[in-house]
Amino acid sequence: MNVRLRLTRQLYDQVRRDLLRPHPFAAERVGFLFARLGNVGTAAPLVCFTAYRPLADERYIDDPHSGARIDSQAIRAAMQQVIDRGEGAFHMHMHAWPGKPHFSPMDRNELPRLIPSFQAVGPGCAHGLLLLSHDACAAEVWLPGSKRSVEAARISVVGFPMQLIPGGET
Amino acid sequence: MTNERFLRQSFLGESGQEVIGRCLVGLVGLGGGGGHIALQLAHVGFMNYVTYDADFAEDSNLNRLVIAIEADVAAGTPKVEAAKRRILGVRGAAHVETYRCRWQERPEPLRACDLVFGCVDSFAERRELEACCRRYLIPYIDIGMDLHQAGDEPPVMGGQVILSMPNGPCMFCLGYLTEEKLGREAARYGAAGGRPQVVWPNGVLASTAVGVAVDLLTDWSRSLRGPVYLAYRGNDGTVVPHPRLVHFRGGACPHYPPDQVGDPLFKRL
Ligand SMILES: [Zn+2]
Repeated sequence: MNVRLRLTRQLYDQVRRDLLRPHPFAAERVGFLFARLGNVGTAAPLVCFTAYRPLADERYIDDPHSGARIDSQAIRAAMQQVIDRGEGAFHMHMHAWPGKPHFSPMDRNELPRLIPSFQAVGPGCAHGLLLLSHDACAAEVWLPGSKRSVEAARISVVGFPMQLIPGGET
Repeated sequence: MTNERFLRQSFLGESGQEVIGRCLVGLVGLGGGGGHIALQLAHVGFMNYVTYDADFAEDSNLNRLVIAIEADVAAGTPKVEAAKRRILGVRGAAHVETYRCRWQERPEPLRACDLVFGCVDSFAERRELEACCRRYLIPYIDIGMDLHQAGDEPPVMGGQVILSMPNGPCMFCLGYLTEEKLGREAARYGAAGGRPQVVWPNGVLASTAVGVAVDLLTDWSRSLRGPVYLAYRGNDGTVVPHPRLVHFRGGACPHYPPDQVGDPLFKRL
């Protein structure tokens, strides 16, 4: 399985601009990207992102143990977007340094719990978790109907210039 | 692969060369234009290819088909195999997928590409290719040449290189494709015969297209920041920005809305 993620340069820049803004107390910002699937049923599925929804400052919970904990209203809003858009939801955050990023143990423990909620309202969509650094990414994708995630091979930024950001590919 | 090999193109940077090696490039049409492109991509260092062409090398191709030799005509070598042989001759470790069919019959590998070159004959083929690339967020580079002759005037040789970027102006926005052109082409379907095709404009157009692709991936010039529409004039040997692009003032492309991506959804009635 070789899952590729794609988004336009305009969308990528919008995401970066938002996630790199400082928050009054949260160490990291979170947002949701929405995506449609391509090459469904093949060994090379494509996740094409269409839109980004940032989170308002008030949607963060002040938790010294977590870089970015968000409240249930933020998650419900993302679920509503899945319904309204007919698209999958990807939780995303960013590490503002170069090199291959890694989900923290807390991320690994907590973030996958979002997926069943997204799958319940968008069973035909791919959902996932996306972590970007300046030049690499880590992305877990749950294909429709799947209880297990696959690591995305790469995310491509489509625009001027092109960027082929490596993920699980070597 | 030794770094020695890329010594003379080290201005592309280590990361630039790496991106070239990682890029999955699609080539649709391996005739006069596509054959040139395949060969150049191999030299530049591209390692991953998806190639489509339903045809075999024929004697009438040898005036321009740089990937084929007389033995291929005798053997009836498929053009995709001729291209693969040339690519592997330069890059033995390259991965070359060959599809001896129209891309529409096996579209999945094309959709997986990071960048697609279209070297096809008709406007209708171009429209279909661009539509596919838009849907799957793939930059599309189109090349083509043509020869026009009116009355006793000498023929006018022209051609184009277009880079169509998702979310930017498409070939309709740029005025290269029009419903009128598509209609005229459909009306004369089957009666057109072989359009003139010669090696030297194919070479110019292919080189220009490869240059655009390398810049797009490596950003070596740090100046490629918008769509490309270059017009070739064979009679005076020039390649210049097309006036339609120079004067292009359009906003968002109305032909390919940004949410119409991925596999088409079939709404239940
Ligand atoms: Zn358009």
